[in-house]
Formats: sequence, C-alpha cells, structure tokens
Amino acid sequence: MAADPAVLVRDNEPTLTRRSPITVVASRSARAAGRSGALWGFIFGIAIASSAVSYTQIYKTPASRAALAAAYGSNNAMSALFGPAPQLQTVAGFTVFKISMTLMILGAVWGLLTSTRLLRGEEDRGRWDLLVAGQTTRRRATFQAIVGLGAGAVVLWAGAALLTVATGQSDKVQFGVASALFFTLAMVATAVMFLAIGAVTSQLAATRRQAASLAAVVLGISYALRLVADAGVGLHGLIWVSPLGWVEELRPFTAPQPLALVPIGACTVILAGTAVHLAGRRDVGSSVMADRTQAESHLGLLGGPTMAAIRLMRSTVIGWWMAIAIAALLYGFIAKSAGTTVAGSVHEVLTKLGATGNGTQAVLGVCFLMLAVLTGFVAGGQVTAVRAEESGGTLVHFLVRPISRWSWLGGRYLVALSVLVVAGLVAGTLTWLGAAVQHSGLSLPTLLGAGVNLVPPSMVILGVGILAFGVRPRSVTWVVYGLLGWSILVVIVGGIGAVSHWVLDTSVFHQMASAPAVPPHWGANAVMAGIGITTALFGAWAFRYRDLQGE
Amino acid sequence: MSDRAIRTEQLTKRYGDVVALDHLDLEVTPGEVVGFLGPNGAGKTTTIRLLLGLSRPTEGRAEIFGLDCQKQPAQVHRRLAYVAGEADLWPSLTGEETLSLLGRVSGRVDEHYRDDLLNRFDLDPTKKVRAYSRGNRQKVILIAALMVRPDLLVLDEPTSGLDPLMEQAFRACIGEARDRGQTVFLSSHIMSEVEALCDRVGILRNGALVEMGTLAEMRHLSALTVEARFDGAVPDLSNVPGVSDVLIDGQNLQCQVRGSVEPLVSALAASRVTGLLSREPSLEELFLAQYGEGEHGR
Ligand SMILES: Nc1ncnc2c1ncn2[C@@H]1O[C@H](COP(=O)(O)OP(=O)(O)OP(=O)(O)O)[C@@H](O)[C@H]1O
Ligand SMILES: [Mg+2]
Repeated sequence: MAADPAVLVRDNEPTLTRRSPITVVASRSARAAGRSGALWGFIFGIAIASSAVSYTQIYKTPASRAALAAAYGSNNAMSALFGPAPQLQTVAGFTVFKISMTLMILGAVWGLLTSTRLLRGEEDRGRWDLLVAGQTTRRRATFQAIVGLGAGAVVLWAGAALLTVATGQSDKVQFGVASALFFTLAMVATAVMFLAIGAVTSQLAATRRQAASLAAVVLGISYALRLVADAGVGLHGLIWVSPLGWVEELRPFTAPQPLALVPIGACTVILAGTAVHLAGRRDVGSSVMADRTQAESHLGLLGGPTMAAIRLMRSTVIGWWMAIAIAALLYGFIAKSAGTTVAGSVHEVLTKLGATGNGTQAVLGVCFLMLAVLTGFVAGGQVTAVRAEESGGTLVHFLVRPISRWSWLGGRYLVALSVLVVAGLVAGTLTWLGAAVQHSGLSLPTLLGAGVNLVPPSMVILGVGILAFGVRPRSVTWVVYGLLGWSILVVIVGGIGAVSHWVLDTSVFHQMASAPAVPPHWGANAVMAGIGITTALFGAWAFRYRDLQGE
Repeated sequence: MSDRAIRTEQLTKRYGDVVALDHLDLEVTPGEVVGFLGPNGAGKTTTIRLLLGLSRPTEGRAEIFGLDCQKQPAQVHRRLAYVAGEADLWPSLTGEETLSLLGRVSGRVDEHYRDDLLNRFDLDPTKKVRAYSRGNRQKVILIAALMVRPDLLVLDEPTSGLDPLMEQAFRACIGEARDRGQTVFLSSHIMSEVEALCDRVGILRNGALVEMGTLAEMRHLSALTVEARFDGAVPDLSNVPGVSDVLIDGQNLQCQVRGSVEPLVSALAASRVTGLLSREPSLEELFLAQYGEGEHGR
C-alpha cells in the first residue's frame, strides 16, 4: 500500500535536499561526456600507438627513413592534406604526420556532437524546463553543463595520454613523457574548442540538428583555411585564423610551440563565456537567431511521409553534399602536385597509407578514403534521422493513418540510398573538376567510378543501422557511430600489417578498393551492397513485429 | 465479419514483469460513444496502442470493424482517426502545412468541415508549430482527426491543455459525430466530459476491466445518498436492509442506500420527517469509490 503520504514525504525529502541543484547539471553532463570521452580517448590512444608501432616496423633502417623524409618532408600538397611533416625520419615526426589531422578532425566532431547533444539536445527534449524551473538559473545551468563537458574532455585527454605514454616507453618508440602529454594535449585541443563552439551554436540555433550543422560548418571552414595555408601558395598566414591551424602550430614532438595555446585557450574561454551570456538572454527552448513564427505555407512536398522527409531534411543533406563537393574539389586540385614527387621506394609509403598505384592516382586513393569516411557519416546521419522520427513522436501520425510500417521504412531507405549515391557522384564529379583545372589527365568516367565506389561501404552502415533500428531501436546511435568509429580505427591501425584479416574485414572501408589508384572492385562492392540490403531487410522485418518505442 | 466497431479478446500486454493489460475483453457497438476511465497506469493508453497496432500484444487479439488490428493495420486505419494526449508535431511546418500533410496521408478530407473546425477552435493556421502553445498543438491534431470524418474516433485524453471554451467546442464536435453515426472511444480523466458525452463507460484498473455499463446501470450498482431531517426522535436505521454509513447530527441524518429504497422508506414513514433529500452519485463519486477500493494504481 502506497497510501501513507507521510511515509512518502519522509522518504523523499532527504534525497531532494542532499543533492543540491547547483551540481546536478554539472554532474549529469560530466557523466555523459565522460563516458563517451573515455571511449574516444581509448580510440585516440590506439590510433596513436598503432601509428608509432607501424612506423618502427615498416621503416627499420635510417636509410629508409631518410628516403621517406626526403620525399614528403617538403611536399606542399601532402602537407595541405595531412599537415606539415618536418621530421619524418623520427617515430614521433611520422606519428604526427600520419595521425594528427585525423584525430584533430575526429576530436572536433566529438566535441561538437557532444556539446550540442548535452546542451541543445537535452533542452529540445524538455529536460531543461524542469531543472531551470528549480532553484537554478539558465546561466548557471549552462555554466555547469559546460564545466561538465570540460570534465569529459579531461577524460578524453587522460585516455589518450595514458596509452601514448605507455607506448612511448617502448625502446623503439621512445616518446618522452612530457612531450607525449603535450602531443595528446594538442590532439584534444580541437575537441575542447569545438565543445565551446557547439555550446555557442546551441544557443544560436533552434534545434540540436541545426546547432550541430552550424558547428560543422565552422569545422569545414577551418579545415579549408588551414589546407590553403599549408598548400604552399604564399598564404601561410591563414593558419592563424583557423582553430585547426592553431593546433598545427603547437607543433608537438617536432618543434613544440606552447605559445599557440594562447589563442586556443582564449578562444575556448571567450566562446564558453559567450554561450553562458547568450543563455541568460533567451528563454528555455527558444533560440537567439530569429526564427520566423509566421510563415507563408508551402504545400509542396507534403504528399506523404517520404516526400515530407525529403522536405524536412533537404537543407541538412545539401549541406553534406556541399561539404563533400568542396573537399573533393580541393583534393582534385592538389592531387597532381602531390603525386609528382611520388616515385620508387616512396610508393611504399602510400601503400601503407591505404593506396596503391602511382602519382596523382595514388594520392587520390587516399583522398577518396577520406571521402568514404565523410559519406559514412552521411549514412549514419540518415539512420539516426529515421530513429529520431520514431522517438520524436512524429512517426505515430503516419502509422495511425493508412501507411504501413513497411512502406514508411522502405521510402526512408530509398531516400537515404539516393542521398548516398548522389554524394558519391558529387565526389567523383568535383574531384574531376579540380583535377581537370590542373590538367591531371584523369577522365571523368574513372573518377565517377571512384565516386560510386564510395557508396557500398556506406550502404553497409545504412543496413546495419536499419537492422539495429528494427531490433533495438534505442541502440541505433551507438551501433551506427560505433561501427563507423571502429571502421576508421581499423583502417588506421591496419597499416601495421600484423592485424589479422578477420579484424580488417570488420571495417567497412577495408574491402573498398582505393579507387582511382586501382580500379573499383565491383565484386566486393556487390557483396557489400548485398550485405547492406540484406541487413536492412532484416531490420525492416523486425521493425514490423515490434512495439513503437519512444526515447 | 463482426458487427462490432471494436472487439478485443483476452488482449494482454506485459512489459517484463509489469502486466499493463490483463486479458481484456471489450466490445464497442458502431455508433456508440464509450468512455474509458481508470487511474494513472491502469492500461488505457496501452489498450489504445494495441488497437492502433503501435504495440504488439503479448496474448489475445483485437479487431476493429471485423479487421485484425495487427494483421491489417492499413485497412483498419482507413476507417479510424486517433488523437493522443500530447501532440509531437514537426516544429518547422506551419499549422496549415501540418494539416495538409496529415490530410493527404489520411486520403480523404472534408475541406469545408476543416475550415469550419479551424474557426470553431479558433486556430491560426499560418503560425509555425514551434510557435504554438501546447493547447494550440493539441487543436491541430484534433482538427486533423475530426476533418476526415472517420467511422471510429479513438481519443486518448484528447482535451489535455484545452481551455474551457475549447473543451466546449470539442464536446459539440463529438456530439455531432455521434449524430452522424460515428463511433467514439474516449479515454479521459475529465469526468464531466465523459458524463456529458458517453453512452457507456468502462473502468479499468490494474489492466483489468472492473466495470462496464451505462451510467444509469452503474448508478444502480452504487449507493444513493439520502439526507433526512426529523421533528422529534431520530429513528434507528442500523438494521434496515441496504442502509449503511449512517451519520446522525442532532435532528439530521445522512445515510447511504444500496439496491431498493423501499425498506428505508417504510422505516422513515414511522417517524416525522420534515425534510428529505436524495442524491444520485456523480460519475466522479462513482469513480472515486472505485479508486478507493484497494490500491490506487500500481
Ligand atoms: N513502454 C513501456 N515499458 C514498460 N512499462 C510500460 C510501458 N508503457 C506502459 N507501461 C506500464 O504499463 C502500465 C499501463 O500504462 P498506460 O500508459 O497504459 O496507463 P494509462 O492508463 O494510460 O495511464 P495514464 O492515465 O497515466 O495515461 C503502467 O504500469 C506503465 O508503467
Ligand atoms: Mg495514458
């Protein structure tokens, strides 16, 4: 019997007062950010360790190391892609070159996703109403959430640093403890800045999706700026206007320059302060950027769930296509000059980086691997959007009307697949355009083939995501981004060569031929497409027989 | 073919150890307005989600107009419309766009009636959903359901967030629906609403139907409150059949009567009664009596 109210009150009172609201928000966000920070810190650590170890295994002699440094140390196009590579004859120098750009970008993506999720996402779900209605103010709540995010970044750093320092103890690697700590600090610096950037966009935008997209645009611009700065076209000063550029200027391991921490720290503090300030100036649930409340109705593209999905997602999807287009154009543009220095023994390096073939094509093989990762993120976004329709409660409106689950999910699958195919075609076409300007002599069909070649791996991500959606809908985000993260990790680590092919095969990118360096492997592509479609069908089947589930 | 609008047979839903719905047998005749009551967590929403095919039953089956709710959802949904207690809509669409989307998905819309409803519910369709208040969002899904004039309306706390004026408009709409022969299945916590609208009422508790019948039938089962004032000695009624809860305050007496009032009337006739008042229980009292028995919810 729960009928004695006196007992209830007595039981509840201590728990209500013991935990002061001052720390509730901070500890909630610290816990959430800390969990994913630990996971990604581990991934960072493994990636760094594997780069270092792979170098010691591939380049055993000083001669081979010198040859590597001679070929790449001064190649502007390679430094535009991966950042400068001043000391390729050392383990540390190679590690910086091989892994730092990837980690900087991954860190930034982690930062912006985590902070928009824990700030704007929580608010979108109405969880802030309760907290802010209590004794804490909006500003204080935001400040605490940011403190919690900071704790998550510390966990990320600790995980990465631990593994790096441990690896550095090896005789062959020999990283000093202090420089290993400084290197991992640099690798986490983009994460910290993009946590702050995400905090600001969370105040500016009206939804979490918008906030994350806005922060992603900042990331794209800052990558493009540093790419131009490093391309050797006399614009090196641009490095100082790009957050990724500041991290590069830290020059960990090779020529440490802690002074570059100043803009990084200042940027973070100013942005975090701005976020807290903006939070106090708006209402819970609203945004700073004016959003029209009154609007002329446009009744186009509202004929059914599929068309509505196209209409509601179009700006996000076009954003992704544009990001891929710009990256492809830049890659195409620099490929020739990067490829000219590739010759003889150096060719082996690119093989270890994931590409075979020669010159321009070999470089583009690596570039297309990066485009494949981008396309994988597009696939992941499509799956989480499908799940969001269910958890957000809008799917019910279709399913209580004469729309079957099968036709709804089928329509969404076809939309997602079309988005991926267009992404591949955009990648191929724009790379061709960039390359054509430089008279690289690559044909449009070859590069279109390389573009279409990007689609099958992302079809696997799409299919596995739909399977998760059908079987365990609440796990969709973890499954999709877990698979993507794992696949990236395996490709990075795969350079060692000592990894079992069973492990390699679990990466969706491993079976993808590095076109245009080699011709696309259509047999493997058919298998991947088949896996993608089959898993999606199983997911759809499971979805028909389960309950609809909210958050 | 069944001639029932809704029929469930042994419909059961378990969530792990929690039995949300326990072997429910329920029948609703076409053209009826049925109220569905029960304390929080009784299983009302669970029943409705099973009827709509949004959840899968652990056991048993449900039919709507003779069609299986799980196997033929699209056919079933052609004949019904549903309103939930909370309206999760697309924030970036305007009210008009939302109604257009939902109307086109439903397949058939009475456009005159839609415009009429927009007027009666006083909704500005040019605003974006993001800018609507909670009550206004609720109006959108109410209008979206009513405007297709379905054979069956399934309503789960449909008026949550509406002001009294809009509540009145809603009652008028349901009255019209009944007059047109539409069937209505209404789950609600607002007793006056159910009392005003429903032909029959079912009360659910802990996943089981504890009461089902017309209001008159249910009143019959329950006690009548009788108050009497005497000029002289107050008689001893404790042994009169059917009478209970006797309270005496000076010359005033109050008691509850179950079943026939005849024994009480005979007993009172022996004394000098100067005032007599009898009152049927309201639905709210009936309901509170049901709640009061045993545990409240779970
Ligand atoms: N998805 C779920 N998982 C676990 N338990 C659930 C789930 N949905 C409902 N329940 C449980 O089933 C029981 C019935 O819930 P239901 O939502 O049907 O109640 P209700 O009668 O609609 O209550 P209310 O009046 O509060 O709306 C409750 O005990 C609830 O906790
Ligand atoms: Mg309910």
